[in-house]
Amino acid sequence: MINNCMKRNVFSIPSTATIRQAASLVVDRHIGLVPVVDPHGKLIGIVRLSDLLSLELPDFFNLLPDLDFVHDFGAVETTRPMPEEIDRPVTTIMQPAVSVVETCGLLRAYALMLKHNLNDLPIVSEENVLVGIASRVDIGAAVLTAWESIEMSRP
Amino acid sequence: MIAEIITTLIFLASLWLIFSEKLNRTIVGMAGAVLIVGLGKLLHFYDESQATAAIDFNTLGLLLGMMILVALLEPTGFFQFLAVWAGRFSRGRPVWLLVLLGTITTVVSMFLPNVTTVVMIAPVTILISEILGINPTPYLMAEALLSDTGGVATLVGDPPNVLIASAAGFSFNDFLTHSLPIVVIVWLLALLQIRYLFRRELKVLPSNAKAVLQLDPVESLEDWKTARRVLIVLAGAILMFFLQSLLKITPAFIALSAAAVALVWVQPNLQEILRHIEWSVLLFFTALFVMVGGLDAAGVLTSVISALDWLNGIPPVLFGVILIWLVAGLSAVVDNVPITIAFIPVIQGLGAHGMEVHPLWWALVFGAGFGGNGTIIGSTANIVVATLSERTRTPITSALWNKRGLPVMLATCTVASVLYILVYPLLSR
Repeated sequence: MINNCMKRNVFSIPSTATIRQAASLVVDRHIGLVPVVDPHGKLIGIVRLSDLLSLELPDFFNLLPDLDFVHDFGAVETTRPMPEEIDRPVTTIMQPAVSVVETCGLLRAYALMLKHNLNDLPIVSEENVLVGIASRVDIGAAVLTAWESIEMSRP
Repeated sequence: MIAEIITTLIFLASLWLIFSEKLNRTIVGMAGAVLIVGLGKLLHFYDESQATAAIDFNTLGLLLGMMILVALLEPTGFFQFLAVWAGRFSRGRPVWLLVLLGTITTVVSMFLPNVTTVVMIAPVTILISEILGINPTPYLMAEALLSDTGGVATLVGDPPNVLIASAAGFSFNDFLTHSLPIVVIVWLLALLQIRYLFRRELKVLPSNAKAVLQLDPVESLEDWKTARRVLIVLAGAILMFFLQSLLKITPAFIALSAAAVALVWVQPNLQEILRHIEWSVLLFFTALFVMVGGLDAAGVLTSVISALDWLNGIPPVLFGVILIWLVAGLSAVVDNVPITIAFIPVIQGLGAHGMEVHPLWWALVFGAGFGGNGTIIGSTANIVVATLSERTRTPITSALWNKRGLPVMLATCTVASVLYILVYPLLSR
């Protein structure tokens, strides 16, 4: 079950926070996903590292199928988002919450992450209160631990 | 009389639905065409065989052939290659970039559909602008405005030209001798005007001009083998267009032959290619032909033309200039294809009444072509550029188009009118 491999020390931000605050949490704690919670600690959404970085990605990123021929991003490398853009409430870029309960099986958790393109998965109690978070590596390693008990088959 | 009134009402209602964009234009066209044929059978003035005869297969064949060639060329990255090369060659100098991208878009859209050209070149334009750290708007608008303008020059440049050529019996060379010289002058003036209108934006020097030198055009070309084959076939087709009158073959036959040769040579996944054909455009054209055929059979066109009899009193040159501005004004606010299809039988009728219509056909070509520049919805290329820019941080708004695009339309129409008056005797031949 997932509660055996999750991290219980989980960093989150309230829905009143700004995008700038979400970004500094990512920088300070070196995390890839920021859960957004209401005053009762209930999970209401998630902000992925990629949601934050898409504010800085150039427009052509979404317009061209292939970028291999662009060897130097030039001015794009030093173009930063506007201050008014990153001082908006974090809820403007927040994604709908994807989460599992503590008793969820490991493979189901891993499959959900793949389908939703997440690198970290928030874990909630039955009352939807945020209780932990697990990364792909946490879950993947937990799954592979079981392989150690597979006996070599004898002919 | 009843047939005339009801057919007219169906046609006007369809046009209104198309222009107000309340319903998809192809759906409206199909419904209207079926209604008119049904009415014709009921009142015995129009039937299926007349409807089939009203369809101009020369126009449809030419469009289909060119669409297949473009569908083959699109995924090869050839358009991307041209735009990347322009960016690199400009070395990041804004005015050079404007001239190069504008010229490439124009030359390509003289032979291939404007929309495809703009759809493929605009994303690379945004890329170049972003790595240079400059605003893409002047380049994007120049591409749409200049491709619309350049498309007027050739028979295959723009759908109205295909329609007019087919109705008036103009050859590819007729366009080169009558339209191209005027378009070259008008185009140059349009380019200078765009340069002036965007002088402030073009003065901003790129902060990172070196970056464009790192772009690799060859690497941006996905499939050179296919691109080369399609381009050879396309060149062959253009050569055949030149010889069209000599060989007494239709443009449709040339385009379809070229498409067949290219398909045999490239042997693509046909399902994939056919998905890229704009069937809705072909269906829309067909429906309009059937509707106009119904109008003719019901006697509406005869009535319209006799009502226009007083026009014979107007000096023909003045009539031509009025036609340019009337068609241009209409084309600025609505699609120029239905306008052209509606005007064609009227001009044909005036010709049957003894009016000298040769110059009028050219007035229709210029009006339908240059008019589209006027508003953000005036031509499909404009709509495409605006829609693409909405996905960027610098969207092109309708207000901006009115400030920078509308003056270009007014100037091109004015210059075209002056040239029209000056060379009027030559246009009669």
